[in-house]
Amino acid sequence: MGAVTDDEVIRKRLLIDGDGAGDDRRINLLVKSFIKWCNSGSQEEGYSQYQRMLSTLSQCEFSMGKTLLVYDMNLREMENYEKIYKEIECSIAGAHEKIAECKKQILQAKRIRKNRQEYDALAKVIQHHPDRHETLKELEALGKELEHLSHIKESVEDKLELRRKQFHVLLSTIHELQQTLENDEKLSEVEEAQDASMETDPKP
Amino acid sequence: MRRHTSTLPFFSVFLEPPMGLHGQVLAAAKEAEVFQALQRLHMTIFSQSVSPCGKFLAAGNNYGQIAIFSLSAALSSEAKEESKKPVVTFQAHDGPVYSMVSTDRHLLSAGDGEVKAWLWVEMLKKGCKELWCRQPPYRTSLEVPEINALLLVPKENSLILAGGDCQLHTMDLETGTFTRVLRGHTDYIHCLALRERSPEVLSGGEDGAVRLWDLRTAKEVQTIEVYKHEECSRPHNGRWIGCLATDSDWMVCGGGPALTLWHLRSSTPTTIFPMRAPQKHVTFYQDLILSAGQGRCVNQWQLSGELKAQVPGSSPGLLSLSLNQQPAAPECKVLTAAGNSCRVDVFTNLGYRAFSLSF
Repeated sequence: MGAVTDDEVIRKRLLIDGDGAGDDRRINLLVKSFIKWCNSGSQEEGYSQYQRMLSTLSQCEFSMGKTLLVYDMNLREMENYEKIYKEIECSIAGAHEKIAECKKQILQAKRIRKNRQEYDALAKVIQHHPDRHETLKELEALGKELEHLSHIKESVEDKLELRRKQFHVLLSTIHELQQTLENDEKLSEVEEAQDASMETDPKP
Repeated sequence: MRRHTSTLPFFSVFLEPPMGLHGQVLAAAKEAEVFQALQRLHMTIFSQSVSPCGKFLAAGNNYGQIAIFSLSAALSSEAKEESKKPVVTFQAHDGPVYSMVSTDRHLLSAGDGEVKAWLWVEMLKKGCKELWCRQPPYRTSLEVPEINALLLVPKENSLILAGGDCQLHTMDLETGTFTRVLRGHTDYIHCLALRERSPEVLSGGEDGAVRLWDLRTAKEVQTIEVYKHEECSRPHNGRWIGCLATDSDWMVCGGGPALTLWHLRSSTPTTIFPMRAPQKHVTFYQDLILSAGQGRCVNQWQLSGELKAQVPGSSPGLLSLSLNQQPAAPECKVLTAAGNSCRVDVFTNLGYRAFSLSF
């Protein structure tokens, strides 16, 4: 059991002040000089030793104060780092969200670009075809010309009909006149024949 | 074979130097290696499909094998060389696997004349059997035309097959019966696309025409004869349409004629993409059009006709592109390209090729 506690003690002492310089040695020296001072006899030596011991003691107190301050400082640094760590985590999460947002925006922008390009492609094709107003105007003009020409055609046809009818009338009258003339000639021939036969009859 | 000759000790003295058993095993192993290497040299990957969970990619090649790659393993930070090899490879068809498509539980693969279904969960364990195998009704029983394209129509839960017999067959996925046959093409069909808003199917084929079929009336609604338009026709390449993609109002098609963007309502070609090599696969992605074909690169085009980027892959020619947009696995969102080699290129960012998976 003594060995176990010895080990522990050694471990603890190594942990606290492993290199053996400074504080541990100072405390040992203090204890040794205290014992020596208790055992010493003379007044002046005792006084000087007493002074020396006080100074060692104050040195020890000073180094203890220093260590306490360092400990405080370490604690506060730790807190500071914790705070910074949390802030960085928050900003990482924020950045992740922004990245997701930006990805959505990029998809949206790509869709918009695609639509624009589709529009451009169609517009190019449409541009090849002539303007609708112009085509309508041309159609109207052509329609008017067509009407005009059909009017002319109608009037010409009417005139043709009229002429045809007139010629028909003329020709039929000529034909009738010819008929009448022929009839008259036949009648006069028959009368002459009758006259000739009447002349031969009264002679006997 | 060497084992047989060595049982005749007399002849073996003349045929080859005497080898012990160890030597024979080594020789057989070497032959197998050489055979495998030759197979990989001549391999063409025709089709790819992503699993419904988004973590696996299936690739089908010209020997009829399907290999399943684990995308999540290959993309993870501790990926090694083995993660770029398939998790499982099996012989699916006797002939090449020309087309594959995934539903939410099955992988449908089509090759010479038949379409087979596999359960995704089953395939990841070795030694899986197909769930069913069907053949569409062909005109004569002597014909075994290849099925070049498969298309899923989720609204009516049916599958459309098209290929060498110049017809589109519709198969209902629940009952497995073939419901419609759409006839109109005069030569075999290469590719299909679905126009979602009005449920119409577009098909493009060797006869140079893109035909739109209305699924409800089973009739041909519109025909666009691409080779007849001067701006895009390239008679020296032929008139075949190798690839189709549609965005409801717009369609992009390519192949023999130049890759062109069409406005469907007015059937006019609006933009012609200046690419000399015939393209074999095209797809719309966000505001870009991705295309790949003869030539190493995956081309990215803007709708205005400008080439935004050309990213080289590792195969001398590309036959299929696949974009993994499954919502269940956003970390595996990659573009994979495969073609005339045994490798599947993986692009994590459209700007460069990250790595290649290999058969």
